[in-house]
Amino acid sequence: MPYFKVNPRLFPPLSSVVQAGIEGIEDGTLIQHIGASLLRVVVGTVIALLLAIPLGIAMGVSSVFSSFLTPLLRFFSVLAGIAWIPIATLWFGYGFGAITFVIFNAVFFIVTYNTLLGVSTIPLHVRNAAASLGAGRWAMLTEVLLPGALPNIVTGIRTGLGFAWRGLIAAEMIATNVGLGYMLFVARDFYKTEVIVLGMIVIGILWLLLDRLLLAPIERATIERWGMVQRA
Amino acid sequence: MRPFLLNIWSFYVRLTARWPSIGSIAPFIPLVAVWWIVVELQIFPRVFLPGPVEVVRSFGSLVYTGILPEYLQDSMVRLAVGAFWGIALGIPLGILVGLNPRAHTALWPLLLFFQAIGDIAWLPILVIWFGYGLITITVVIVYTVIFPVVLNTVLGVRSIPITMHRAALSLGASRTRILWEVVLPGALPNIVTGLRNGLGYGWRALIATEIIVGTSGIGFLMFDARRAGSVVEILLGMIILGILWYIVDSWVLAPIERATGQRWGLVTR
Amino acid sequence: MKNLTIRNLSKTYFDIYAGTNVTAVHDVSLDVQQGEFVCIVGPSGCGKTTILNMIAGFIPHTGGEILLDGRPVTGPGADRGVVFQSFALFPWRTVLENVAFGPKMRGVGKAQREKIAHEYLALAKLTEAAGRYPAELSGGMQQRVGVVRALANEPDVLLMDEPFASVDAQTRMTLQEELTRIWQEKRPTVIFITHDVGEAVFLANRVVALSKGRVLEEIAVDLPRPRSWDALNDDVRFKELTGRVLQLVRSA
Repeated sequence: MPYFKVNPRLFPPLSSVVQAGIEGIEDGTLIQHIGASLLRVVVGTVIALLLAIPLGIAMGVSSVFSSFLTPLLRFFSVLAGIAWIPIATLWFGYGFGAITFVIFNAVFFIVTYNTLLGVSTIPLHVRNAAASLGAGRWAMLTEVLLPGALPNIVTGIRTGLGFAWRGLIAAEMIATNVGLGYMLFVARDFYKTEVIVLGMIVIGILWLLLDRLLLAPIERATIERWGMVQRA
Repeated sequence: MRPFLLNIWSFYVRLTARWPSIGSIAPFIPLVAVWWIVVELQIFPRVFLPGPVEVVRSFGSLVYTGILPEYLQDSMVRLAVGAFWGIALGIPLGILVGLNPRAHTALWPLLLFFQAIGDIAWLPILVIWFGYGLITITVVIVYTVIFPVVLNTVLGVRSIPITMHRAALSLGASRTRILWEVVLPGALPNIVTGLRNGLGYGWRALIATEIIVGTSGIGFLMFDARRAGSVVEILLGMIILGILWYIVDSWVLAPIERATGQRWGLVTR
Repeated sequence: MKNLTIRNLSKTYFDIYAGTNVTAVHDVSLDVQQGEFVCIVGPSGCGKTTILNMIAGFIPHTGGEILLDGRPVTGPGADRGVVFQSFALFPWRTVLENVAFGPKMRGVGKAQREKIAHEYLALAKLTEAAGRYPAELSGGMQQRVGVVRALANEPDVLLMDEPFASVDAQTRMTLQEELTRIWQEKRPTVIFITHDVGEAVFLANRVVALSKGRVLEEIAVDLPRPRSWDALNDDVRFKELTGRVLQLVRSA
């Protein structure tokens, strides 16, 4: 069946990949890895968002703070995820804590930055209009600032999740013993390329699902309907 | 009190308007100050969080022993090689997919899927295929850089209004000439954005690869220091990473992006 | 004499949304002599832009023939210059470079083509704008650049697709007068598409009234040249002609 002799260790045929997948589901290891990875992503992201969005709004409202603190945020956004791994393992040991910390960082800074950006670019006359219609502090927050900054926030979440996902895989390769990254890395030690390919496909599918089923609908439901961003 | 603060702020604004670089550096001063205070107050044990002074000292000694410059050079060279190939392959591919509807339908889903897998996930299999050397790292970086470049190039190419192609045609331009005279300049702002993003991702991928399988470079420096338990060098590595990228991005890439977009009155996102 | 002959031109395409074949242009025939200024007038959707795009070669025609100087038209080319409603200037090139673009495509040397470009810019009174980028100009000025860019290439036919629709009313009147002045100097063959009846009568030697893809009538415009809005606004003959065209276009 193969057109030329390819070492199946190097280039696993599809059948063995599927086989490895079935085995992984049957003995539960694949589910375990996926579960661990997803849990870390979810926890890290949720905590990061809970902190980043309010902080971003608070900073964005004041032009003084936003222009002063922006360089700081941009600096830390650059250190996305992966660079935190060494120090994270030192501070939190190996495992859940360190990896979740990495994910938190990947999401937190970029979302804060984007939220700040989003709030500060809401035209002043929109805020004035709300004020002249009697909006109090809370109403201003929920009716003007949050919706107005939403495109940027969503973009920030999207980018942040991208960083987080990559940081997750990388961190799991060296800092833990369960998770998709770990699964890939350990398979390498045993030359089990079919497991590696399986892992890669799973990672790809998971991200696509995340993007299509979670992020894109949010974008569609909010900002596209409000006509703020056009889909190419 | 308030007028006093306003005066200080207004002074700052004028200062940074005149010398924008100050605006990039000034916010870090309170950060470093807070850091220094936190360390002095021993809120965290010194082994967990060393102070700025120790970091600077470590910087000095690493430079003196030549390790830091060598590692830095290694990292930069790898990034440059990978980025070069990513761009050299990415732009033509992007133009092809952008202009040719059949290529677009055929390749777009593939592009999206492979982008979803992400660079790092390729590391294990690349190590099996090519070992731990330069090829593996370069391939990872090329892979990482190519996607933002291609996707942004496609976006740029497709955003050129068809009237511009038609105008060139009605002025006697051949298809190849249109590529050079219309498509490339028209897509340039988006291409530059793609380059900027691509380099950003490439940089991160480089560090990740160096941490996981590296034998030299800044990423390796941090990983090695972790093994030795030396927090100072980890922090130093992170700071160097941040500063390096910050400088390259804010003072080289962002101005280029702004210049191409603004000069031609085109809007960049 | 490079004449443009259109015989039994038609365009039918499959409309995805309607699910059926749609005929945009039915059996249109038109003869344009060299040096004539012909305006095609009709309401939106009557097919005039489709006709122009077919003459320009941007879209293929499904029936009939288009002959320029006896030869059939196949695809776009420098013999048919186009002025677009959206100006379509190259934003990354200066005004001068834009106007010099056509000659550049023909392989004319830098010094020579810049000379040509300057000549045409002077014609449109745009000399000071030569070194500027299109984004720095107003809409009216940009379109003037668009006109001379097409003219500088000395096409056999100049096709103008509602070129003044994107500018404000006052600028439009100025541009129309400019256009007639330039036309009188260079005498290109012009096919001008518009929905504005007054504009059509003001500019043309001959007005072709179009509706739902069919030619209704051709009306010769015998107003003396040079024409200006001050003179024509109260002119009896002008009002007669515009009334006639308007009636045609609105009745169909």
